[in-house]
Amino acid sequence: MPDLGVASSTIASGVLLGGMLGLTALGLSIVLGVMRLVNLAHGELLVFGAYVGLFFLQYSGIDPLLGLPVIALFVAALSVPLYRFLLQPLAKRGSEAQMMTMFGVSIILQNAFVLAFSADTRSIPVGYAALPLILGPITVPLMYLIGFAISVAAILGVHWLVSSTVFGRDLRASAVDAEAATTLGVNVNRVQMLTFALGVACAGIGGVLIGAAFQFGPSSGASYLLNSLAIVVLGGLGNVLGTLVGGITLGALQSIGGLTLGDGYRDLVGMALFLAVLAFRPDGVVGGRGR
Amino acid sequence: MKGIKSDMRSGACLKLGAAAFVFGGLGLGAAFADEIVIGASLPLSGPLAGFGNFQKWGYERAVNEVNKAGGIDINGKKDLVKLIIRDDKTDPNAAASNTETLISRDHAVAMLGSCTPALVNAGALVAERAKKPMVTGCDPLEAFKSVRNWKYVWDIFFDEPELAAAQFKALKDLGIADKTNKKVAIWHDNGPDGQVVGGKIWPELAKAFGYEVVQNAEFPVDNSQFTSIIGEAKSKGAEVVLVDAITPQAIAIRKQMSASGYTPKVVNIEKGAEPVQFAEALGKLSDGVLVGGYWDASLPYPGAADLAKDFEAETKLTSSQHIADSYAAAKVLLDGIAAAGSTDAEKINAALAKTDKAYVVGPVKFDENHTAKLPIVSLQWQGGKTVIVWPKAAQNGQFLFPLPQ
Repeated sequence: MPDLGVASSTIASGVLLGGMLGLTALGLSIVLGVMRLVNLAHGELLVFGAYVGLFFLQYSGIDPLLGLPVIALFVAALSVPLYRFLLQPLAKRGSEAQMMTMFGVSIILQNAFVLAFSADTRSIPVGYAALPLILGPITVPLMYLIGFAISVAAILGVHWLVSSTVFGRDLRASAVDAEAATTLGVNVNRVQMLTFALGVACAGIGGVLIGAAFQFGPSSGASYLLNSLAIVVLGGLGNVLGTLVGGITLGALQSIGGLTLGDGYRDLVGMALFLAVLAFRPDGVVGGRGR
Repeated sequence: MKGIKSDMRSGACLKLGAAAFVFGGLGLGAAFADEIVIGASLPLSGPLAGFGNFQKWGYERAVNEVNKAGGIDINGKKDLVKLIIRDDKTDPNAAASNTETLISRDHAVAMLGSCTPALVNAGALVAERAKKPMVTGCDPLEAFKSVRNWKYVWDIFFDEPELAAAQFKALKDLGIADKTNKKVAIWHDNGPDGQVVGGKIWPELAKAFGYEVVQNAEFPVDNSQFTSIIGEAKSKGAEVVLVDAITPQAIAIRKQMSASGYTPKVVNIEKGAEPVQFAEALGKLSDGVLVGGYWDASLPYPGAADLAKDFEAETKLTSSQHIADSYAAAKVLLDGIAAAGSTDAEKINAALAKTDKAYVVGPVKFDENHTAKLPIVSLQWQGGKTVIVWPKAAQNGQFLFPLPQ
């Protein structure tokens, strides 16, 4: 058995990392909740956010965490034509057609990353990303704490947007019954476009945090898509705060899996949990479509 | 949830279908007459792309040189060489199917290898079955020999036991070993070479050199979280850490070690710390990291200095060892075809067996196992470049000790 310091540090790291994973999953969750679309390019959009963060730092010299609002707006703006020209025309053909499209986009993005940025593994070089935070016997990466704080703030922000604004009201109405919302005067198309952009913005912010804390490359997206799916299922479909709870739960349990079985078995624990929740609590641990 | 599950299932099928369409559609067509086609499947994307792009440059340089000189004399007539490269995306299945395609559809008369045992061996088995000669680097010799008794495949690379022993010898010869507590942590991936080096050879060598192995941890090749492994090594006081992992994991490990407040005195990372992207991604964190090497531009081999200089002038990138073994493998194959004076596989294979010449990686002569062993040096990252720190005779820089904080 690992000693107490190792165990507590690992679990604390897992909880903090889980918060970041919650943010990366949020975009997938709200798009799935409102558009019924499993966005298979979600991982690549996250990686795109990491590249934007890297080049933002290289060309502006400004810390990408300070530039997060700009980066989020930038990736969200780029997602609008993606929705307008690829997803909207297929809206009436069921979610399968849109999902196929996003799968194509994921492949195109991976290849575009290789062509544009090379296949090299990158990391956003911010000095504090390699610093430890030591609190008595517990040592956690400082970047995990920073990422956790930003993720919680972003998730609470999205929660406020969904629960307390006119857009949020329209979003919730569209999620429950798009046809009924349309008859009540909600512009569902516009809501879906903005929801998609919001989802991409969340992926972009998550990408910057992941890119600073870890490493990334053109094909890194797939593993984050898998983790995000597990978190969406854990937290409940479309449940904003549930995504945070799901992320923290996954992060903590993966850490326990890493401690007891070895770091190589983290994903096994995550996927076992994913299947168990699907089998026994298909609406998620927290419950679906909450606020 | 039913919807999600069904969506996911459809997604997986679509992914497979689209992948088959996209990659199947990349066929470049059959060979033209009077061209000698040689093929290569390389990891130009995916986690090993850092190696593949260097190899591509090495292969292309060798072919371009031959073509610039008018081609190869085949049955009394000079034919140009056409090199067809396909991306295996760091996937052994793709390496095998690429090799199949290169031989059957593109009519390659001979092959050049991919990188790492998983990819090289996957393609090599196809070439062997098709009785087409293949020359490869980038496949450690023990992992290569363990697959089968090769008849058509030839490997020019380092021997794992020698590479694994290099850092132990370097630490001893340079008087570094006694400045540590001789507690060693071994972390290795579960790939074929990771298991050989980290699972078997390092623990035995550690014992032989008087070290105590306080941890031996294995992880999958796509792992990205190492906090538990690092925490355990830190708690056990290991001052020497030996890692065998590919580049993305190597970067993650070094970064997470620092973020966990763990700075052992010596860190050696085989495989992953070799390409320059390791130092580019990590910046100063790469300083002091050791990696076993088989080539450096300063070694006294024919064309070594020019090779690195030309690569850097052409690409504006820092050179890598992989430009040398790939360039040498291609030169050996092209020399074999020239010596055979034919595109007949048996004749080329017979000519390859007689290879005995100094190349850019040193003397190349194959043994009965179809392997040619390259001598090993110990490299250390310093200021974004590698310097040779061992053996003393080849040293072009001082050993940086201990690992900087």
